[in-house]
Amino acid sequence: MAADLKYEISQNAYIKLVLHALKHNTTAVNGILLGRVNPQNENVVEIIDSVHLFHSNLALLPPLEIALIMIEEHYGSQGLGIVGYFHANERFDDVELGIVAKNISDHICRYFPQAAVLLLDNKKLEAVPKGKCQSPVMQGLT
Amino acid sequence: MVSKTEETQLNRLENQVDNGGGGAWEYLCLVRKLKVRRSEKVLKHGLSILNDPKKRSALGPEEWTLYEQVAIAAMDCQCLDVAKDCIKVLQKKFPESKRVGRLNGMLLEAKGSWAEAEKAYSSLLEDNSLDQIIHKRRIAMAKAQGNISEAIELLNKYLEIFMADHEAWREQAELYVSLQMYKQAAFCYEELILSQPTVPLYHLAYADVLYTLGGLENLQTAKKYYASTIDLTGGKNTRALFGICLCISAIAQVSKGRNKEDKESPELQSLAATALEKDYKQRAANKLGLLTCSLRSLKN
Repeated sequence: MAADLKYEISQNAYIKLVLHALKHNTTAVNGILLGRVNPQNENVVEIIDSVHLFHSNLALLPPLEIALIMIEEHYGSQGLGIVGYFHANERFDDVELGIVAKNISDHICRYFPQAAVLLLDNKKLEAVPKGKCQSPVMQGLT
Repeated sequence: MVSKTEETQLNRLENQVDNGGGGAWEYLCLVRKLKVRRSEKVLKHGLSILNDPKKRSALGPEEWTLYEQVAIAAMDCQCLDVAKDCIKVLQKKFPESKRVGRLNGMLLEAKGSWAEAEKAYSSLLEDNSLDQIIHKRRIAMAKAQGNISEAIELLNKYLEIFMADHEAWREQAELYVSLQMYKQAAFCYEELILSQPTVPLYHLAYADVLYTLGGLENLQTAKKYYASTIDLTGGKNTRALFGICLCISAIAQVSKGRNKEDKESPELQSLAATALEKDYKQRAANKLGLLTCSLRSLKN
């Protein structure tokens, strides 16, 4: 990567994704990040909103295709594009980006090379209600 | 699989109990009957009955079933002390019980002591090698440790013995899909459709997998199965309607270079689109514009 890219995520986008993961705590979930490149500083990508996708059968193509088409239509009219992908693994101690997540995020990177991939850190999420952890519970991997 | 009416009934009961309206025992029985996973609620309401001696004795012999249900829910919520206490009570009452032995195995699982749990299950299987639940626990353990391929292998062996276990076939299909082994997942759905041809869910899932596999033949078959889903659900299945539109557009793309076979009737596309628009008008009128744009981009 050329320069250091920074990502800013809005509270709305962040909370929606985490709440979805919490609601379906027994399965993997994923979502799409929407936003744009900061018009004043092209090294900053703003993640302004998010759309959570599935909580079962994440690796099937038809629902994913329809979702992406509709998301692009809807947010395109607001001037936002797909800037990344969010994934939360099924198992508590699974910190790896699985094949499915990799494939989907690769696909997104093809259209937006600075795409961000956020993986939910389950251990940090568990610590949140106990008030121990204030930092975001996701790790960014590009 | 839970039907919509059953789910609404369950949610209504759950709301009632949550807001202090009573009916906890009814709720717990329904959860047990439908085999849904609502461990936090089960734990909360189950404990409220078990910790109240009057309510507990009112259950009579059902008390022990409740202890088992709460123990499992507690393990699911990682409240291992509660689980241990429940199991202790059951052990005292039924000292030689295999069912309690199973719960002990599950407790070891919940603690993460995989080797000990495996030992416990193997010894239980020696006495009864056809215990479905224990076989399934071993598969679940493999899955929990992240060893999906071993889970698939164990599940295959299970399915050789218990071929009629539909939920197991579904689980196998989902495991295959998660590893992107779509051909094998398709096989599982084929088995399900063969044994239960009138369940639209299997047709839909099969079509989804075929579409994901891709290739002209698979796309055409997928279209047929989306159509059969629509047939079986009386046209109400939105996913299948979308599936048809996707298939038509994908088939058109794949056969662009080839001879125009024109077996495809253009009516199907417009029929599906009209049905979708009607559906959206009824249920989400403000998203109708979004739908029309998306369908248009599919046509191109």
